[in-house]
Amino acid sequence: MSDTAPRNPTGAPQMLADALLRTVTGAAALLRMTNTNADTNSSEVGLVATTFVEVPVSPVLMRQLRPSWREGGQSKWELLISATSVEQQVSALDLASAQSLFSMTLAVTVAGQDYLIESVGSNEAFGQIYLYRLLLREARQQAV
Amino acid sequence: MQNAKDSFYLALRARLVAINPSRTILLRGTVRPGILVEEAEAPFSQLPNDVFVLRWLGMSVDMNLGSTMAAAECEILYQSCGTQSFGGLDRGRALSAMDAEVLGMTTPFCTPKLNYTATPPAAMLTQVFWDEPGFTPIVVQRDRLSRSAKIVVYSYQERGE
Repeated sequence: MSDTAPRNPTGAPQMLADALLRTVTGAAALLRMTNTNADTNSSEVGLVATTFVEVPVSPVLMRQLRPSWREGGQSKWELLISATSVEQQVSALDLASAQSLFSMTLAVTVAGQDYLIESVGSNEAFGQIYLYRLLLREARQQAV
Repeated sequence: MQNAKDSFYLALRARLVAINPSRTILLRGTVRPGILVEEAEAPFSQLPNDVFVLRWLGMSVDMNLGSTMAAAECEILYQSCGTQSFGGLDRGRALSAMDAEVLGMTTPFCTPKLNYTATPPAAMLTQVFWDEPGFTPIVVQRDRLSRSAKIVVYSYQERGE
């Protein structure tokens, strides 16, 4: 639920969220993004091994969603990310918004395991986002 | 068949730039023409709007000819929610415009086959050719209209392929 009441912005919800995340796990996640590649022909048909950049965000909290077993189905996870950390990376990469950051992300790595982003949500208080919630699913193992 | 698939995609991309240069997508940090090969990009949780997505499906081979001929089915998927300035009320027109662009991109029904693993791409001896696109009915998902066009792409297998 969003609180869009016209009050002066305050960093309290963000600081509280950061403190809670840091206290519970203090873990970090890496957002894997591609570097810009000038050779468009080759990179667009999967010929050039694109170089990747790993953008760290922390603190984060990873939790498994209620399991609903299905043949061939994969576990789904939710990653709670500190909005402060996301804002820092958005600013460092000179991006327009957090949505741009997540849309450019190929995979999220947490504790050595890759996950793919299914959807992005956020929590707000006093008109400010204090937490991002990524719905993730495990990436299948790729050939070496 | 990979050379034929690459040549087909890059021919369509070049034709799209000529037909509608404003149809672009920001992908992997680069602004590109609004067409992409699904299997050469990161997996999408939801296909992007207002761009063409090429998905390769079935494949068959005819060996009762002088040269082996391979045929691969390509599905071109596209969808639109219309534009913000029209409040999405132009989504039907937007999809019709994309229908016309598919026809424009696929005409003429052939392109030279090139080997893109070489730098610069090396011209091969034969052409890649295809038949008319078969359009599927529009699928309405609330405010999004989507459609696909299926095309069978043919190519002769050359030495070394």
